[in-house]
Amino acid sequence: MRKKLSVLLGIALLAGAVSGCGSAGTKEPSAADKGSTSAAAQEEAVSQTKPVSGEEQIVVKMGLCPLEEEPQELWDKYDKDLKVFSEKHPNVTIENARYDYSTDTFVPLAESGNLPTVFGTWFSEPQKLIANGYAADITDILKERGWLDKMNQSIRGILSDKEGHVYGIPASGYALGMLQNVNLFKEAGLVDENGIPFKPATWEDVAEYAQKIKEATGTPGLCILAQDNGAGWHFTNIAWDFGAEFSVLNEDGTYTANVNSPEAIEAMEFIKDLKWKCDVLTPDPLSENGGTGIAHIASGTAAMVIGANDAVNALIDNGAMLGEFALCPFPAGPKGQYSLFGGTPYMFSPDATKEQINAALDFMVIYNGVGPDVSEDTLDSIAKRDASLGRPVLPQFKLWDSPEVDALQETVIENNRNMDSALYQDYFDTIVKDGNLHLEEPAATQDLYAELTKVIQAVVTDKNSDVPALMKTADSNYQVILDSLQ
Amino acid sequence: MKNDRKKACGGFSRKDVLGWCVLLPGVILFFFFIWGPMITSIKLSFFSTKGFQIREFVGLKNYIHVLNHPDFIAAFRNTFSYIGWSLVLGFLTPLIVAVLVSETVLFKGFFRASVYFPAMVPGLASAMIANFFFLGSKFGVMNILISKLGLEPQTWLSHSAWTIPIIVILCTWKGAGGTSLIYMAGIGGISQDLYEAAAIDGAGYLKRLVHIVIPSVLPLARTLLILQVISVFQILYEPLVMTNGGPNNASISIMQLVYRYAFEKFDYASACALSVIICLTLMVISAVYNTVTNKKEN
Repeated sequence: MRKKLSVLLGIALLAGAVSGCGSAGTKEPSAADKGSTSAAAQEEAVSQTKPVSGEEQIVVKMGLCPLEEEPQELWDKYDKDLKVFSEKHPNVTIENARYDYSTDTFVPLAESGNLPTVFGTWFSEPQKLIANGYAADITDILKERGWLDKMNQSIRGILSDKEGHVYGIPASGYALGMLQNVNLFKEAGLVDENGIPFKPATWEDVAEYAQKIKEATGTPGLCILAQDNGAGWHFTNIAWDFGAEFSVLNEDGTYTANVNSPEAIEAMEFIKDLKWKCDVLTPDPLSENGGTGIAHIASGTAAMVIGANDAVNALIDNGAMLGEFALCPFPAGPKGQYSLFGGTPYMFSPDATKEQINAALDFMVIYNGVGPDVSEDTLDSIAKRDASLGRPVLPQFKLWDSPEVDALQETVIENNRNMDSALYQDYFDTIVKDGNLHLEEPAATQDLYAELTKVIQAVVTDKNSDVPALMKTADSNYQVILDSLQ
Repeated sequence: MKNDRKKACGGFSRKDVLGWCVLLPGVILFFFFIWGPMITSIKLSFFSTKGFQIREFVGLKNYIHVLNHPDFIAAFRNTFSYIGWSLVLGFLTPLIVAVLVSETVLFKGFFRASVYFPAMVPGLASAMIANFFFLGSKFGVMNILISKLGLEPQTWLSHSAWTIPIIVILCTWKGAGGTSLIYMAGIGGISQDLYEAAAIDGAGYLKRLVHIVIPSVLPLARTLLILQVISVFQILYEPLVMTNGGPNNASISIMQLVYRYAFEKFDYASACALSVIICLTLMVISAVYNTVTNKKEN
């Protein structure tokens, strides 16, 4: 009896182990393969699967569909756009395969061939994905559509390899500015007769306003992110205003680090003074990251944080109401005023076929409003969707060189405006000025941010920190990394 | 005759076949999830990679690259600091808890379960609890407590000297329960004859503890010590979630560097090279430890 039981147990264990091994090449739906919640869309999904004789059936795994728990307004727009798309492309099936980019899950999905056809990712990722072969080359596809030469050239550079092949399309563009909590400025008397907060034109103004707000309200005037690479990211922009350049391109294509220049040291001393002389920062900057910074502005526990136009939706998600926050230009320094800019991309699975990518792009023109061929109806429906969710309808960052699209966007904004333009217009006027927009540092960018973050962490935790020495160490470390790039 | 049959079958008897059938699923799982990835990691560490695909053989270049990383020395040093603090704060704690719980008479089962409770809290949840507990603002739990004593709020995790001990306190809170259960099992296995003999000789509680309990659990403690060293050497979760290695690399661990190579840079070759270095270091530590403890026993 015991023997038979042992044999049975052994067989059961073996069967259990073997059943866990999937067959090679099976492409299963990726994360959150959720169906549409509306009955109409379910009917549409069924009708989409009816084969049309003679036409190749194309399945697109849409990594950008809404999450199941998101508001009904988002699903209504998605379902409506799906219906419009299906009428024009009866041979295409759009499968819901929502994927939120994460470095932990992306590579296993990519290696196993389970990436959605199209997915969004962070602004820091394109070069990494391109270098590792995790994104499809869509240069020819964009050329055939006539989109290639209309893409914002700087953003195109972020999405290209050294040979100029393009691997994505811009989803959104951003340029750093300063987010302000209007109520705190009001309490400190730093508003004009219309209740619009004063915009700090320079970093000295930032320090002055932050001190006044702290004295009047007891609330920190400025939130500096010091937990992760966000600190270094923001600091490079501040340092450019002080005249710093962090690396020098040599004739042979290598880079020489220039982190401990007098200008950069001056900028870092300013950060140190914000903490120890002005005492305007949040109690523990090392616990602040992009998420907590937005939460501070939304909840009124800090008056200012460096942020971009693409952060305003996060403010609403954190409970801020329209009219309670403002977006002003990045303050100027002694040597200039710059706004670090970049773009978040949509990229395509390296396993996707040309037909799948084209079908995805056709749907995204309707649903996401991408490309230089977007219609006024699409832009209007996106604006109305945002307005229905309480989000501000703001001017868009110029992603395509298309005067027609620019004109359509202006009309759509005018028709759907729901926020006082005095709270943001200065920002959008500044970022289109010549010479204002500044791309990220070109070489080993994230490593530079990491080194600067370490220095910032030291200066905001140690009153006696030696800034020149810390910056010299950062410079040496950065040079080691630059040398290893060869 | 049975032995002849066994020899004729190459040393396998029917019992051996049955044993291997029961072992086989585990062996297969070990191969796929532990040995296979380990061998692949070692292989990847000697090549340049594009994603997980190997490109060309580069010898020890990846090893030199990771050893030259500006954060390597800080991470290596901090990892030994984590081990040191974990031995000071966390080695005797489970033993003390086990002795105390073993001595209880009423509600022993309840205490045994409750010391294990922190181990059941998911890792992310416990790190977040610790973050709120040690929040640097006046709203952090620790700062609320010390404000009752008239002290100023402290930025606990942002103090470079305190950050590692605080992380070790969290790890001890979480891990001591499981280890103490092992000690309790060891203490529970001590023969009652020894206690009776000690009682007859008039030994008090402390003498029983020193001369019976401690020597009985000493072999267990030796094994658990090296297991603790190996486990703490690979600490990742707590510094990643609580401090992200800061302030200014004060709490970065060597596994955090592996994580950054693998998941922030997608540089799997370097991540594998560093993993191999960690493995070799732990093998050396284990070998030295075993040699020293064997000499002592002899």
